[in-house]
Amino acid sequence: MAIKNKKVIAWILAAAMIAAAPNTISLAAQVEDAAAADEAEESGAQANGETVLDNGEVVMEGAVGKVDESEWVTLDDYELVAESSTYKMYLYEPRLSIILENKETGELLESTLNDAKDDGNSNKSWNGYMKSGIVIQAIVGTVNTYQVDLLTCDNTIEVTKTENGFSAKVFFTEYQFGLTVNVSLEEDQLIVNIPDDSIIEQKEGSYISMISLYPFMGYTFLDDEEGYMLIPDGNGALIHLNNKEGRYSTGFSQMIYGKDIGFTDSATQALLWDEVDMVRSANQVIAPIFGMAHTNQNLGYLAVVEKGDKRASVEAHPNGVMVNYNRCFARFLLRDIYIQPLNNSNSGTVTNVEADRTHTDLQVRYMLLSGEDANYSGMAVTYRNYLLDNGLVTIKDNGYNTRVDFLGTDREEFLMGTKAVTVTTVDNVEEIYKELQAAGISSMLSVYKGWQKGGIYNLPISKYKADSHIGGTGALTKLIKESEENNYHLYLYNDALRLNPSTNSSTFNVVKKVNKRTFKDEFWANVYKTFMYQTSKKSDSTLKKFVKSYTKKGVSNLAVEGISNTLFSSSSRGSFMTRYDCAADYESTLASIDENTNLILQQPFAYLWNYTDAFLDMPLGSSDYMYVDEEVPFLSMVLKGVIPMYSDYVNFEANKTEFFLQMIESGVYPSFYITYENSSALIYTNSSDLYSTEYNTYKDTIIEYDEKLREVAGMVDGALIIRHEKLDNGVTVVTYDNGVAIYVNYSGQEQTADGVTVPAMSYKVGEA
Amino acid sequence: MKKRVLRLTAVFLIAFVLISGIDILSVHAETPYRTYTVDGYGYVQETQTAYLAHATITKFGDKFLDTPSDLYVTENGEIYVADTGNGRIIVGDLEGNLIKVIGEGTLISPKGVFVTEENNHVYVADRDAAAVFEFDENGQVVNQYTKPNSPLYGDNLDFLPIKVVVNEAGVMYIVCESNTNGIVEISPTDGGTFLGYFGTNFADQSIQTIIYRAILTDAQRAKMASNIPSTPDNLAIDKKGLIYTVTRGDKSKTLKRLNIAGKNLIDPDSYDPIPAAVTAGNHDNVYVASQQGYIYEYNNDGDLLYVFGGLDDGTQRVGLSTLVTSIQVDQEDKIYILDSDKCQIQVYEPSEFTNLLHRALYLYSKGRYTESKEPLTEVLKMNSMFDYANQAMGRAYFQEENYDMALRYARLAKDYEGYSDAYWEIRNQWLKKNIVEALLVILAVYIVIRVVKFLDRKKQILAKPKAFWENCKQKKVVSNLLYAKYFMKHPIDGSYGIAREGRASWAAPSILLLIFTIEYIVNKYLCGFLWKNVREGRYDILSDIGVVVIVMAAVTACNYLVCTINEGEGTVKKIYTYFCYSLTPYIMLTPVAFVLTHVLTDNEAFLVTLVQLLMIGWLVVLLILSIKEVNNYTGKETFKIIALTLFTILIMALLIFIIYVLWAQVFEFINSIFGEVVYRLGY
Repeated sequence: MAIKNKKVIAWILAAAMIAAAPNTISLAAQVEDAAAADEAEESGAQANGETVLDNGEVVMEGAVGKVDESEWVTLDDYELVAESSTYKMYLYEPRLSIILENKETGELLESTLNDAKDDGNSNKSWNGYMKSGIVIQAIVGTVNTYQVDLLTCDNTIEVTKTENGFSAKVFFTEYQFGLTVNVSLEEDQLIVNIPDDSIIEQKEGSYISMISLYPFMGYTFLDDEEGYMLIPDGNGALIHLNNKEGRYSTGFSQMIYGKDIGFTDSATQALLWDEVDMVRSANQVIAPIFGMAHTNQNLGYLAVVEKGDKRASVEAHPNGVMVNYNRCFARFLLRDIYIQPLNNSNSGTVTNVEADRTHTDLQVRYMLLSGEDANYSGMAVTYRNYLLDNGLVTIKDNGYNTRVDFLGTDREEFLMGTKAVTVTTVDNVEEIYKELQAAGISSMLSVYKGWQKGGIYNLPISKYKADSHIGGTGALTKLIKESEENNYHLYLYNDALRLNPSTNSSTFNVVKKVNKRTFKDEFWANVYKTFMYQTSKKSDSTLKKFVKSYTKKGVSNLAVEGISNTLFSSSSRGSFMTRYDCAADYESTLASIDENTNLILQQPFAYLWNYTDAFLDMPLGSSDYMYVDEEVPFLSMVLKGVIPMYSDYVNFEANKTEFFLQMIESGVYPSFYITYENSSALIYTNSSDLYSTEYNTYKDTIIEYDEKLREVAGMVDGALIIRHEKLDNGVTVVTYDNGVAIYVNYSGQEQTADGVTVPAMSYKVGEA
Repeated sequence: MKKRVLRLTAVFLIAFVLISGIDILSVHAETPYRTYTVDGYGYVQETQTAYLAHATITKFGDKFLDTPSDLYVTENGEIYVADTGNGRIIVGDLEGNLIKVIGEGTLISPKGVFVTEENNHVYVADRDAAAVFEFDENGQVVNQYTKPNSPLYGDNLDFLPIKVVVNEAGVMYIVCESNTNGIVEISPTDGGTFLGYFGTNFADQSIQTIIYRAILTDAQRAKMASNIPSTPDNLAIDKKGLIYTVTRGDKSKTLKRLNIAGKNLIDPDSYDPIPAAVTAGNHDNVYVASQQGYIYEYNNDGDLLYVFGGLDDGTQRVGLSTLVTSIQVDQEDKIYILDSDKCQIQVYEPSEFTNLLHRALYLYSKGRYTESKEPLTEVLKMNSMFDYANQAMGRAYFQEENYDMALRYARLAKDYEGYSDAYWEIRNQWLKKNIVEALLVILAVYIVIRVVKFLDRKKQILAKPKAFWENCKQKKVVSNLLYAKYFMKHPIDGSYGIAREGRASWAAPSILLLIFTIEYIVNKYLCGFLWKNVREGRYDILSDIGVVVIVMAAVTACNYLVCTINEGEGTVKKIYTYFCYSLTPYIMLTPVAFVLTHVLTDNEAFLVTLVQLLMIGWLVVLLILSIKEVNNYTGKETFKIIALTLFTILIMALLIFIIYVLWAQVFEFINSIFGEVVYRLGY
C-alpha cells in the first residue's frame, strides 16, 4: 500500500493550494484515514482465527457458547400472524423472525437461527447476524464494514398486523436510519418487501450500504438435513447440504446480472508473464433466483428477487464459511463506496461514498414447495409458471434449428493502417447453405458477425452498410431474403454496447465510471486493445438508426449482443446513472426494436426474455466453483418449450461427446462458429482466438448433429420439461409433459434405467 | 514391532470403511482457466483446453493433509504425499482411499518424498531432522543419511534436505535449503558417501556486473549485493536417469535437463518466474508447475506445448491453485498438482486434443513420420494454428519429399531450419526443370540488347531518349543525384566537390534519404522469410520512418555542433549532404541483398552476409573520409570528432529524457489539481 506516495501527493497538493490551506490539509488527513481503514479491514479478515473440529464444525475465536436453555426463544414465544390454506406464519417480533408451518405435514421452515440449534461456535456479532431477520451493513464515514442487526444494535420496532401478514417499522437509534419490512403470506407464497419510501437515513455520514433479507431463510446445520441449495450460476448448480468439513472460506456471492463495471477496478488480476490473463471470468447471474430444498422433509422454496434485483446479489454459503449453517439469501446494495483517484498514476486516491442511495422497492418472493415438488425440478416448474403467469415470458416458436454462425471479416495491421482479412463472404455463405441444404438440413439459424464495413470490431454499427470484401450491401440483402424462403434464417450481428476508439470517435457518449474515469475494456489482442462502452442513450440512438436503415431494405433479422447482458452504474457530466436507469433504457430500446425486427439476443438477462425470439449462448455448465456439488440444467428446464435455446460454440469444446449429450439432456440446440477460409488467416487479427472454425472441418459434424438433435427435438416439440432426475448409475432422465422421457447415459458402461438400456456415453428416447 | 503391524492393518481396514475424500466432477463443459500455446515468434496463442480438472483429493480415508510439500505418484497409481505439518508420509490412491501411513513418529518435517519403482523403497527428505530417510515397502527405516562428513561438502554448511530423487543405482540427488553449491549427490555405499555437487547454477554475469567489477574498489565491491548462484528449487528424474531441475529467476536456465555429467540438454522457449516443481512425462515431454498454479508442458526440445491453470482469484474455482509445491504425472497422463495452501491434490486429465497430440509426439519421436501425420491432422483440424503440430507436420512432409507442403507448414510454424531445407529442395527441383529455359531467356535478353545497340549505331533509334537524358542531366538535382554515384566511388574527390564545388544541396540528398527509407522499409518487411527479423503480418512503418528522421537529424545536428567549435569547415548543408551521400552503398547494394534473400537458403546465407558487410564497410569508409575531407581535418582530428559527435548524441538523448521526465511531473501535478477539483466539486 502506497501510503508514502499518498503522503507525498498530499504534501504537493498542500503546497500548491496554499491559499485554500484548511481544506487541503483536511483532505490530506482524509487520505490517510482511508488508508488506515483499508488496513484495518485487511487485518480484520486475518484476525478471524477459526479452528475446524474433527466432525467438521468450525469454531470461531471469541465464540459466545451455547444459549442457556432457559433463555431459548421457542415457538411458544412466536405469535401466529397469518394463515393460508396451506401454511401458517408465526412471528417473533424482537428478531422479526418468522416460522412457516406446513399445515399438511407440520414441517417448519425457519427464517432465523433457532436458539436450540445454536452451536455456540460463533462470536457475538455473528450470533446477532444469524438470529436477526434483517441484517444491514452500514457505512459510517467512508468505512462500510459496520454490521447492524436486531440483536446487537439498539433499535425500535413497531409491528402492525396486516390482512395476511405484518408490517414492521424498524429504526436503529445508534445509526439513525430505519426502514419498514412488509411480510405477507399469499397461499404458498411468502412475500417480503421493503418500500423505497420507508427507507430513511437521518444522520449525515451514517448510511445503509447493504440489506440482507432473512439471511437464514430455510437454513440447516452441517449435514442435519438432506438437500441442496440452488444457485443461479451458469445453467444452474447445486450446493449439497452435506458436511463441508470447513473446507471453504467463501460461498457463492454474485451480483445478479453481473459485476458493476462502474465501481470495480479492472486492473487487479494476476497475469502470466505480465500480459496473459489465464483465468476466465465466472458466469454472470442471468436470472434473479435462488432456492433451498430439504429433500427428506419434503420442504423447500424457490425465491425470486422481484424488485431491487438489478443491484442485489445472490448469496449461498455452505457450512464452514464462517459458521456451521447452510444458508442462502438475497442481499440488496443501496449505496457503495468507491475509490476516487486524484491523478493518472493512481498514486493518490481518496475513498468516497456514493452521493445518493439507489431508489427502488426491494422485494423477494419465496415460493414454498412441498411434497414431490420440493426439489429442483419443482423449482424449475414453479419458476416457469411464475414467468408465464406474470407475462415475463411468452411462448415463442420453438422449432428446431441448427445454428451456424459466420465470421465475415476482421482487420490486421498493415503498413500505417489496417487491412481486411476476409474469411467468409456472402458467396461463401450461399455456397455453404446450398451444400447443407442438399445434405438434408431443412432449417437453420445463423448469426453473421463481422459483416459491417470495417470488420467485426468497427463498432458501433449505426448504418446498414456491408463490407465490400464480403460482397457489399446489395448481395447481403439478397442473401438474407433468399435464404429466408428456404427456412435458413440469417441474422446480422450488432454489438450495441461497445465502441472501438481506434475506429470511431470516443470523445462523447462513452461510459464513465462513478469516479468520472472513462471505463476501458482492455483486451490482450493483436490490433484493437481497448474498447469503451457507449452510454445507454447512445446505444439506443445508434441501434435505432441502424434498424431504420436495415428494415428499409426489407430485411429484419437482427441479433444483438452487449446490451443484452451488461448492466452498470455510470456518471456523466455530474449526474449519476444507476443500474436501474441503465436496465430501463436497454429494455425500452430492445422493446421498441423488437416491434420492427425479428430480434434474438445473446445470453439475455431475465428481464429481457420477453423481447427475444431465441436464447443464444445458453451455458451448459457452471463456473466450476469448488463448493458446487452438482450441475443441473435449471434454466434449460425452465425455458425448454418456451424460448428456443442455442448452446455455446461446439468448435471450442474439448470433450465433444459429453457436450453433445448435455445438449440432448437440456434440450438446447447446437451452435457452430464457421469460417470458409482456414482460421490460420486470422492469426494477426483480434479474432486470433478462433483457432478452429474452418467449414470443411466441421461440415460433417454439423450434418450429424443436425440429424440427431432434430430427431430428438421433433419428439418433444412444444413440450415442457416436468422432471429431471440423475440416477445413481450415471443415467439422467428428463421427462416432458407430453409423456416423452429422454435417457442420457454419461457413464463409461451400458446402463439400464426404467427398463430402457442406454449404451455408454449415449442416449435413448422413451416413454415416461 | 507387532504393535506397528497391527496398527497398519487397522489403518487398512479403516481405509476400506471410510468414505473417501474425493470430489469427482460429473460433467465439465468449461474450465475456469484458459489454455495457451506459444507460436514460433514466442507470441502467446489461445488453444483448446488441454487438461480438464478431473478430481480434487482433500483427504485420504479420514486423514487430512496439513501444509503438504511434496508428492510422488508410482507407476501403479499409488500416491505418496509428504504431509509436512503432520510429520508423516501418507500413501493413498486416486479414489481417495488410504493405503498406509509411513514415518509417523520418525519424521519431523518431511519436505520431499521419492519412491523407487523396483522395490518401492520410500526416500524422505526431512528438513528439521536434517536427514534423508530410506523406508522399505513396509514402512521400516532401512537407512538414514545425515550430513556428509567429507570436507568437500563444506564444514560450515548445514544439511537441510528438502527434495530428493534417486537413480537406479541408488544414488541420491538432494536439494538442500540454503546450500548454493548445487545438488548434493550421495551414494548409498558405506552408509552414505558424498560424491560431490551436481548441476551447479552459475551466478548471473551480466555486462553490468562485469563493468562494475572492473571499475569498483574492493571496498565498494564488498558492499555490492552478493552475487551468489541460485539454488535449484526442485528436481525430478526420468526413466533414462536424466535429472531435471527448476530454479527461480534463472530465465531460460529456469528449467534444465542434466545428463550424468551435469550438462544441460534443454533450452526452453518460455519459462516461469517462480517455478515450484518439475516432472518428466511419458512422451519425452516435461511438465513444470509454477508456484502460482500455472502448469507448463514442453516437448523434448523445450518448445512450450501448453500453459494452463492459474492463480485462484478468490472465487474458489476447481482447477485454480494458490500455492503449488509439487507436480506428478501418472501412466495415463493425468497431472497431479499438490496445493500446499489449500491442502489438496488437484488431478487434471488430458482432453481428446491432448491425447492426440501425445500420440503424435510419440510417433514422431520414434521416427514414424507418415503415421504421425494422422493424429497431427486431427490436431490441426481442432486448432490449425497449433505451432508444434505445424512444425511436426512440415517435417513429416519433408520426410515424404512433399516439399511444397513442407515449406507451407514450416512457414506457418516459423521453423526456419525446416523452411530452409524445404526451400533448398524446391529450388533444386526448379533449377533442374527450368535451367534450359532460364538460360535461353538470359540469352534472348542479351541478344535484344545487342540488336538495339547495333541499330542505334546504324540508325540512331535511341537518339531521342539519349537527348532527353542529356537534357535531364543538366538539371541540378539530377546532376547532384548522379554525383552521389561518383562520391561513392571517389570519396576524397567527391568530398572536395561537396566542400568546394557547390555540390552540397538539400534536394538531392533528401531524395536519397527518401530512397534509403523506402528500401529500408521494403527490405525489413518483405525480404526472404529466412532473413526476416519482424513478425509476419506486423507493420510499424511510422516508427521506422521516425527512427530514420530522428537519427539523421541527431547526427547532422551534433556533428555540426562539434565541427563548428573544432574549426571544421562544414556547414549544415554540407554535413547533411555527406551523411546522405554516404548512404549510397546501402541504396545500391540493398536491392542485390534483397533479391538474394529470396533465392538463397541457410546454406548460402553467407552471400547475403557478405553483401551486407561490404555495404556497411563501404558506408563507414565514406563517412569517415567525408567528415575528414569536408571539414579539412587530419586523421587524428577526424576520430576525435567522431567520438565527440557520438558523445554529444548521448548527452542530447539524456537531456531530452530529463526534460521529458520533468514535463511528466508537471503534467502529473496539474492532473492532481484537476483530480482534486473533480473530487471537491463532485463533478
